[in-house]
Amino acid sequence: MSADWLEVQKLEKSFDGIRALADFSCSLRQGEILGLIGPNGAGKTTLLNVISGFLAPESGRALFRGKTLLGLPPHKIATTGIARTFQKLRLIRQVSVLDNVLLSFRNQPGERLSNVFFRWKNSKEQEAANRKEAMSLLEEAGLTEKANEPAEDLSYGQQKLLSLVCCLAAKGDLLLLDEPVAGIAPEMIEKILGIIRNLPNKGKSVILIEHNLDAMMQVCDRVIFMDAGAKLSEGTPEEVRDDPRVIEAYID
Amino acid sequence: MEYFLHILILIGIYIILSESLNLIAGYTGLLSIAHAAFYGVGAYVAALMALHLHSPFLVNIVCAVILCGLLGALVGIPSLRIRDDYFVIATFAFQVITFSVLNNWVSFTGGPMGLPGIPQPTIFGLKITSHLGFLLLIVILCSLILWISHRIVKSPFGRVLKSIREDEVFTQAVGKNVAAYKVLVFIIGAGMAAVAGVMYAYYISFIDPTSFTVMESIFIISIVIIGGAGNLWGPVVGAVVLVVLPELLRFIGLPSSMAANVRQILYGGLLVAFMMWRPQGFLGKYAFQSGETRE
Amino acid sequence: MIQYIVNSLIAASVWTLLGLGFALVLRAGRFFNFAHGIVFTAGAYFAFLFKAWLGFPLAVSLFIAILCSTALGCLMEFFPYRPLRRKGASPLVLLLASLGTYVVLQNMISMVFGDDTKSIRSGPVKEGLNVFGARITPIQILTILVSIVLVVAVAILLKNTKMGKTMRAVASDFKLANVCGLDSDRVILLGFALGSALAGVAGILFALDVDMTPTMGMNALMMGIVAVIIGGVDSIIGIILGALLLGLAQNLGVWYISSQWQDAIAFAILLVFLLFRPQGFMGKRVVKATV
Repeated sequence: MSADWLEVQKLEKSFDGIRALADFSCSLRQGEILGLIGPNGAGKTTLLNVISGFLAPESGRALFRGKTLLGLPPHKIATTGIARTFQKLRLIRQVSVLDNVLLSFRNQPGERLSNVFFRWKNSKEQEAANRKEAMSLLEEAGLTEKANEPAEDLSYGQQKLLSLVCCLAAKGDLLLLDEPVAGIAPEMIEKILGIIRNLPNKGKSVILIEHNLDAMMQVCDRVIFMDAGAKLSEGTPEEVRDDPRVIEAYID
Repeated sequence: MEYFLHILILIGIYIILSESLNLIAGYTGLLSIAHAAFYGVGAYVAALMALHLHSPFLVNIVCAVILCGLLGALVGIPSLRIRDDYFVIATFAFQVITFSVLNNWVSFTGGPMGLPGIPQPTIFGLKITSHLGFLLLIVILCSLILWISHRIVKSPFGRVLKSIREDEVFTQAVGKNVAAYKVLVFIIGAGMAAVAGVMYAYYISFIDPTSFTVMESIFIISIVIIGGAGNLWGPVVGAVVLVVLPELLRFIGLPSSMAANVRQILYGGLLVAFMMWRPQGFLGKYAFQSGETRE
Repeated sequence: MIQYIVNSLIAASVWTLLGLGFALVLRAGRFFNFAHGIVFTAGAYFAFLFKAWLGFPLAVSLFIAILCSTALGCLMEFFPYRPLRRKGASPLVLLLASLGTYVVLQNMISMVFGDDTKSIRSGPVKEGLNVFGARITPIQILTILVSIVLVVAVAILLKNTKMGKTMRAVASDFKLANVCGLDSDRVILLGFALGSALAGVAGILFALDVDMTPTMGMNALMMGIVAVIIGGVDSIIGIILGALLLGLAQNLGVWYISSQWQDAIAFAILLVFLLFRPQGFMGKRVVKATV
């Protein structure tokens, strides 16, 4: 029995003749933090998009906890326990920080139309419980004072933190984080990395895309270097950093 | 006095129409100019049932709501595959096809001649004959519709609707079945519009296709936008303003031949003006600004 | 059979002109301009104004009418579209503004000219010449010919002139074109001018054949939009094919069912394309949300 949390085999994906994923395979265990680095256009985000169901590959397999992901719509994949953030930083800016977190909870009875009018005591109770949990998540993240403000009023760094909190609220067991600390202040980087570093203790796995090599070194158990859709190097952060092929690719 | 009551009844009908479109367009961000089609089908279903089957008012209204709900699902399905402005064109197509059916299927709908002689409604033995009676009925229905909208909007379901409006991708990523929500909101909105149609049919006691054209759809969306999309009271404000304002013009000596034209110029002009200077309308916070930009 | 083809050609000609004009604005301004329909109507009514009310000779009236409709289109760009663009309005907002503009202008035409049918034709309806066994009036022949000439002219303009190339550059990448120093405002205005001229001509030809009413524009525009969508926004040939298909389908409907269902047929075709092939026959780009 494979202990693989996530298994990706021979993925192929092309756009307009450019191979974004070239026979790409990798696997991930529970409680592992995997980093993806590589130049722009290497296929890192494409990989996340395929795993989370927003893109369909031409061929290959992807399994999460033994169940296949390919062919499932993104929202179904999300409910199997995969949560993600986006390079473009997606949040519902016009609603409050708290509402963003509340949205992220799964299995909300109040989201079923029938429960809005019948059995609404049930949804009311769940909503109250969710609210409590959301506030405690926000407290851990240090965002409590901003809870009722619209998400667009947060700083960029705080918004990135919020999207991570949303992944936690969604109870994701596999988190796909696309540049979670890019372009933000050092204190915030520390805070976010701290949360990420703690995730394996909760039994969660993470795939992390970053250009920030320092961050990678601090947090990742394993790193994959990608270029032109293929895996160029794989190993501990130090191994990959010192890999001559990686150095060469960066110099190019 | 009768005139005053008549205006209030019209406002009531338009509150129902715009509140229902508000759920679809204002809260979920699905701009649609098919709403007059739901309005019309609701009216025709009730009228035909009353005239041919002599069924009671409550039965007719339920049937109209169900049928329009189904029609709403039909209109909602394309929104899953077509975006934004292309979707508006699709709703336009539905609207015109529906009008075509109402206007051309003469044997069934009476065609351009319409359906005259719709009987007065009888509810639990009480026959509604006076303006006051209709007004009371409309107030009850309006309150019901507003209450339903309020519950929807304040619930987690409503929270997801707003989320879809702002960012569909994010909404999917947090596990919500966006397709289901879109179709559901169309079903609800269409069903509510049917109620307005039924009221209209019984009140005027005569309906013809010209009340349910694209221009009417544009009028309804204007109410939603000017009143304030995405706000529960926006449609109320919008309905009051856009029904009352043209009537006021009557009092300053506008010849009645021009009245219809001026009324349309008024709401068309207000639509442009609000888009320009206050796209969120009087009370709204949402201004159809978001959405993926095309490359 | 020949009559059927001929009728389809006549309809297709008008829809091609209207659709092409609409597509030009769509590519330049990046939004669905519903007010394009009123330029069509205005073209005919301007001609009526000059001929029937001011007594100018027909040819002069038509010429000035085309100029006026071009001006009207440009005016719309100045207000409300350009200021809205400056404010970063989304395509939906522009679409809504165009709906409002249409409503205002249609009713103004109604108020000034009345809702009854007006005509700019000189004499009574002629029998029509007999060409290969089909009946076709001189106006209808003119419609087809003018259509062909104008479409070819626009195609050449877009492909070979500096102005045309600029338009295509702006259409394919707004921001990049601006960065390269191309004045997108001017190009958009040009798109409006050209598109409106085509709409005005279409309206005049249509009115010369079947007279005019204030409400004819919305319906005619929708036919043009159907042609554009089933043909593909980026392709002139696509639009022509789309218009032809539309004309053929509608007239087939006239033959087998009855003429009242023409609109429904057109829109049913539109829906099929929107659902299954939104880029049309010849289109390449499908607008999608990027993740």
